[in-house]
Amino acid sequence: MSVLSVRDYSLDYLTRAGSQRVLQDVTLSIAPGEVLGLVGESGSGKTSLAWAIMRHLPRNARESEGQIGLGDTDLRAATAKALETIRGRRMSMVFQDPSTALNPTLSIGRQVSEVLVRHRGLDEKEAWAAATEALAHVELRDPAALMKRYPHEASGGEKQRVVIATAFACRPELIVFDEPTTALDVITGARILDLFARLRAETGVAALYISHDLALVSRVADRVAILERGRIVEEAPADRIFRSPTHDYTRRLVAAVPRPEHRLVSDMPTPEPLLSAENIAVRYHRKRPATADLRIDLKRGEILGVVGESGSGKSSLARALTGLADYSGTITLAGRRIAHMDRSYRRAVQIVFQHPDSSLNPRHTVAELLARPLKLYGGDIKSIPQLLTDVQLPAGYVSRYPHQLSGGEKQRVAIARAFAAKPQLVICDEITAPLDVSVQASVVELLLRLRATHGTSYLFITHDLNLVQQVAHRIAVMKGGEIVDLLGIDELRAGQGHPYTRELLAAAPPPVG
Amino acid sequence: MSDALHRLTRTPQGMLGLGLLAVLVLACLLGSLVAPYSPEAMDFAGRFAAPGVKHWFGADQLGRDVLSRLLVGARSTVPLAVLATFSGAAVGACIGTLSAYLGGRWDEAITRTIDAVMAVPHLLLALILVSTLGKGSTNAALAIAISVAPSLARVTRSVALAARQQDYVKAAIARGEGGAWIVLREMLPNVAAPVIIEATIRVAFAVMLFATLSFLGLGAQPPESEWGLMVSEARRYMHQAPWVIVAPALAIAVTAICFNLLGDGLRDALNPRDER
Repeated sequence: MSVLSVRDYSLDYLTRAGSQRVLQDVTLSIAPGEVLGLVGESGSGKTSLAWAIMRHLPRNARESEGQIGLGDTDLRAATAKALETIRGRRMSMVFQDPSTALNPTLSIGRQVSEVLVRHRGLDEKEAWAAATEALAHVELRDPAALMKRYPHEASGGEKQRVVIATAFACRPELIVFDEPTTALDVITGARILDLFARLRAETGVAALYISHDLALVSRVADRVAILERGRIVEEAPADRIFRSPTHDYTRRLVAAVPRPEHRLVSDMPTPEPLLSAENIAVRYHRKRPATADLRIDLKRGEILGVVGESGSGKSSLARALTGLADYSGTITLAGRRIAHMDRSYRRAVQIVFQHPDSSLNPRHTVAELLARPLKLYGGDIKSIPQLLTDVQLPAGYVSRYPHQLSGGEKQRVAIARAFAAKPQLVICDEITAPLDVSVQASVVELLLRLRATHGTSYLFITHDLNLVQQVAHRIAVMKGGEIVDLLGIDELRAGQGHPYTRELLAAAPPPVG
Repeated sequence: MSDALHRLTRTPQGMLGLGLLAVLVLACLLGSLVAPYSPEAMDFAGRFAAPGVKHWFGADQLGRDVLSRLLVGARSTVPLAVLATFSGAAVGACIGTLSAYLGGRWDEAITRTIDAVMAVPHLLLALILVSTLGKGSTNAALAIAISVAPSLARVTRSVALAARQQDYVKAAIARGEGGAWIVLREMLPNVAAPVIIEATIRVAFAVMLFATLSFLGLGAQPPESEWGLMVSEARRYMHQAPWVIVAPALAIAVTAICFNLLGDGLRDALNPRDER
């Protein structure tokens, strides 16, 4: 008897444009103690499936056919009243973003103990004690003190542990994990995964683990199902899906996963120095500076990877170099000391931001977006179609607005805008992070091709250690506003470097197979 | 924009608001053509004629046809109120966006000034301005524009603060764009929706404020058939001939309701977030 069985399940959303199919004949089952990974790109319907299982669908959802069963309970037929005793008791969920999954106005203790009062029939005092024990069980330090704190007084990793403790509190049969580590740092995420592995071994819970990260899922799950546009195209044991994918789509996904041993850049940078920054300290309106005395240098045509957790000062460095944040220190570009950011410096150093949704003004057409750097730095407006062709977009896109483009296309427009200035250095601030793996691979390929044509240097800020090992010549590792390590890719591979660097590498193991 | 208009017609309040607006626009454009009498044609035999076949809304103390005066008066009431509100809103939106863009001390100074101006009630502010500038419709419209601007600046600033954090503003700064471009071309178009909604609702207040000023004798001057002025003139004969005061008062109320409904409808139409 399987814990969860979904059979021939189809789901539509009614929109103004008509009915839109999000899930088509989905069939999957999870045996007791098994972890099924569900992998799909954005828009594939993986989160809709999670909500269908949790029976919390938006009002415009229409379920046309199929069954969802938890044990021998038919979830589709369950009444709202019955669901109240099932959710939290027999199945529970762990969300992507722990900061929104907890209620900011209730103490952590209240939120964990409420589940116990509700489903295990404990009184307040017993529930409080049991909740404290549950928090201790997820390796939280000083659980008694944490119980009294509010969510904003805990770190992201701690909050996710609290959510996991709540999910496990009533020993459910099934837990749905919806990208539980995506919002967390590499190291914090890796520790959460270790915790999950331990709890799973102890409790024997069955789980549906949803993620866009095929490499990660293949490490966590026993079996992996691949979801493409609402259909399950392949289902196989985790170790097989990487080694011998059968479906075309799976093959494309596997091929797009960055493998650190597979270098994409073969040439060496020129010995000619391009930019050097010394003693860069950025302070916002706080006492502690965001970065302290950073020192980096770049050669022409070099790709310098910058890695580190969030809050390590990576973005502050990018802001200082582009004049977005006040800094102290000296920047030298091609032998010229930059006293203040003048037009020629701004032209030479361009930045591409993480989220194209935010970096492209939604009220400007592609033509207007690309015309600005041309007008500011001198260039021919007639070259706009050529700029689009250079980033492999059809020249007909000039009259489109950003919302008419896909995520990958938007990021290409942002890259085209940076290259319209004919820059010598492009700062890429986590530009591949919001993109699906397959799109990510093509964007990286585009960047490398542009570099080959224009000889541009890149400051490649990322948290994806596998990707950075594929492209960077040297890697700077940042922690707490300092560069703890700056070493060449060969030295990194040889296992040299700061202990923190090795810890980061260990937290992001290369994909199996 | 046509998309927003389409959504506007799908909500009942938007539909009703648009319908009333169409009536108002027609009255403003064609009022003097379709009016059965001249608004200033006096008829002493027909003073205070009750509503009937001859005078649909009755006649006033000088025997002038109330319906004709309303139709012709629409042109001196509604367009001026709309113009005053939207010019005030435009100025307010620019100030609010600029304040959000500059930030820090400048933001503080501008916001506090706005607070100080807003502490003075609208009517009082308008009265002060008109009594300094002199009576008349143009000055009344100017006074209304100035009293609308601070509250719109405040609304815009709060929206623009969010836009200020967007990467497209950072990208523009990193590109070396000037302040004017960033405020007018990068930020302002993105805060336009709430400004338009707020301004539309403010038109209702402007119509009433304008009528109030005319009522007090500071706006339109007789023998103009501005609605507020009509109410003011009819006040003395309220018990004798109530229709003379009821008709323009209703016209003012319906106009105010029209723009309120339109504003509500626009709020739904320009925020299609709820729609999947």
